Amino acid sequence: MTKEAVQGATEEEQQAQSKKALKKQQKEAEKAAKKAEKQAKLDFAKDRYGVSAMVQSQQKLDRELVRVQDLTPEKADQLIWLRARVHTSRAKGKQCFLVLRQQQFNVQALVAVGDRASKQMVKFAANITKESIIDVEASVRKVEQKIESCSQQDVELHVERIFVISQAEPRLPLQLEDAVRPDGEGEEEGRATVNQDTKLDNRVIDLRTTTSQAIFRLQSGVCQLFRDTLTQKGFVEIQTPKIISAASEGGANVFTVSYFKTSAYLAQSPQLYKQMCICADFDKVFCVGPVFRAEDSNTHRHLTEFVGLDIEMAFNYHYHEVIDSITDTMVQIFKGLRDNFQTEIQTVNKQFPSEPFKFLEPTLRLEYTEGVAMLREAGVEMGDEDDLSTPNEKLLGRLVKEKYDTDFYVLDKYPLAVRPFYTMPDPNNAKYSNSYDMFMRGEEILSGAQRIHDAQLLTERATHHQIDLEKIKSYIDSFRFGAPPHGGGGIGLERVCMLYLGLHNVRQTSMFPRDPKRLTP
Amino acid sequence: MPMYQVKPVSGDMEVDLPTCMYKLPSFHDLGALRDIVINANPAQPPLTLLVLHSLLCQRYRVLSTVHVHSSVTDVPPQLLSCLGPRHADSYARHMFQLGFTLIWKDVPKVQMKFSVQNMCPIEGEANVARFLFKLLAPYPSDPAAATLVDSWLDTAFFQLAEGSAKERAAVLRALNSALGRNPWLSGPEFSLADVACYCCVLQTGSAASTPANVQRWIKSCDNLGHFGPAKRLLQ
Repeated sequence: MTKEAVQGATEEEQQAQSKKALKKQQKEAEKAAKKAEKQAKLDFAKDRYGVSAMVQSQQKLDRELVRVQDLTPEKADQLIWLRARVHTSRAKGKQCFLVLRQQQFNVQALVAVGDRASKQMVKFAANITKESIIDVEASVRKVEQKIESCSQQDVELHVERIFVISQAEPRLPLQLEDAVRPDGEGEEEGRATVNQDTKLDNRVIDLRTTTSQAIFRLQSGVCQLFRDTLTQKGFVEIQTPKIISAASEGGANVFTVSYFKTSAYLAQSPQLYKQMCICADFDKVFCVGPVFRAEDSNTHRHLTEFVGLDIEMAFNYHYHEVIDSITDTMVQIFKGLRDNFQTEIQTVNKQFPSEPFKFLEPTLRLEYTEGVAMLREAGVEMGDEDDLSTPNEKLLGRLVKEKYDTDFYVLDKYPLAVRPFYTMPDPNNAKYSNSYDMFMRGEEILSGAQRIHDAQLLTERATHHQIDLEKIKSYIDSFRFGAPPHGGGGIGLERVCMLYLGLHNVRQTSMFPRDPKRLTP
Repeated sequence: MPMYQVKPVSGDMEVDLPTCMYKLPSFHDLGALRDIVINANPAQPPLTLLVLHSLLCQRYRVLSTVHVHSSVTDVPPQLLSCLGPRHADSYARHMFQLGFTLIWKDVPKVQMKFSVQNMCPIEGEANVARFLFKLLAPYPSDPAAATLVDSWLDTAFFQLAEGSAKERAAVLRALNSALGRNPWLSGPEFSLADVACYCCVLQTGSAASTPANVQRWIKSCDNLGHFGPAKRLLQ
């Protein structure tokens, strides 16, 4: 045979073969289609489940969605709709058990083959990926045995319709059960816990855990109690600029930003502006806003950006009027948390056990010399005018706790040498000042003082501290036209929450923390 | 002529006999305040300690403060002002020799803390009363007299304050007969025994129906003027 002839013969063979293959494929496709059709016909529940079209506001359904936390025996036998996340889903024969979660609350749901659900529907439910958001229509049923693993322990849902509203990708960067597991338990039972960096890198998922929800609800409570207490005391809330021309606390730890043809700084505290408001006759002010500290400290309690809660007030004759106001505000916050946020506190304690926060009313105030005496009695060697080192602060906190059983106290009359230039010196003893620090669980949360309200004395003290007077000219000018005696202080929201709950890292109480190594998310 | 002579044993050696169980700190150098912390349950106010507080205020410059601990929620206003009005100089703690810090707290027994490094806490109203009284005056040096005071203290706190009606009646009879022989319970001088028994009698509520000598003694105590704080609290 010729080459062409051979080729032709092979081509024919090939054609014959591909025809055969095609026919085979066609037959198989027909078979599969028929099977599917048969199954679809058999799937009587096919309209009661599926992946919904993306909600693009196609229609305005007037449907009431019940909250998981409201699923109680009172609603027994009602048919309700709800939207929640799939926390877990597990098939068991002809049934699928799901746990549906909404913030801190979760409830068990059941899809069972019966007159409302088909086999295919149960299979569909079992395959919904974790964290997907679903709508279910279900009847609420009372259960005889309490469901210990859920927040709603007395009822379960019998699902009649189930639709996926937003599907989650199957591989999650972290598992929520792992993120909520106490560290000790993880090590003991060989189960995974999630380290802090992973949690922070995937913050959106980590914030969904019951612990995170509880922490940030409590934090919201702190902010609200702060505002409400001060408003009741007659304080006015103000907003101060964060882009400023001079570093308020000292040149080293300040962020510089380019400002058109020049540069500016991000405010390290609202200090200067709070005081100017007092000189502008606002009498008592507070502000809640970001504070920026370019401190290259990688510790458990430092952030480069945090929320500052600041107070400043004019007083009549003695700066203790200011201390009394601030400590009373703190006590009202502690009482508000103690009385209204026990659920949140217990939730956090499940993952991070700690001693409940104790305090005295009125707040305990010790003088610096008393603190030094207590430390010396415990064996610490320090000079009268030395500042307290962090370990000494912690030790003093423990000594105070042992004697007075309080986690919150004020240390008054600090040595002048270790305070900022605008601190008012003590009238009777030049070594000391009218300044104070407040501590929670032995860690400093507030530094405050009576401020110098006299332009001349302020100039002297600034010169003594070798500060360039040109840079603070407008600050000094504000005291030249009549200034009331005043004082104040500021706290960090994240640090206060961390210490109140007995947590050990401020990043746990900062939603999207900023530190020298982290700028995102 | 003596019957026998005893030769001296130790020659010229001076022997320092102990006269006290522990040394109390001196409050006379001004510097840091020495703070006495007393934790008490608002359900059982320690009246003897309030009386001792006012006695202390007459002897030393005392900075008195009252706090409510976070373990209790509602404390009646008279318990908040039971140590009297705030001292005008209370903004300057270092000007005082002694601090008296009363904390209303959920505790089973009265508890006192002073020098945490050197002393364990003292528990029970009777024991705290003994400590505070020693800051005012030494116990009688005669061991018999000292024991008598202690005995009345225990009688007051165990049988009078916590005993049955029968026990209380027995105590009142004992008081009556002791006060028949002496103006004060431990003899010619007013002592801690009188403070404790007066407060416990007052707390039983039956001061008016006590025997004659006890009535006379109650009036004498009133005349001394130290018992105002205790009486005010019981009103």
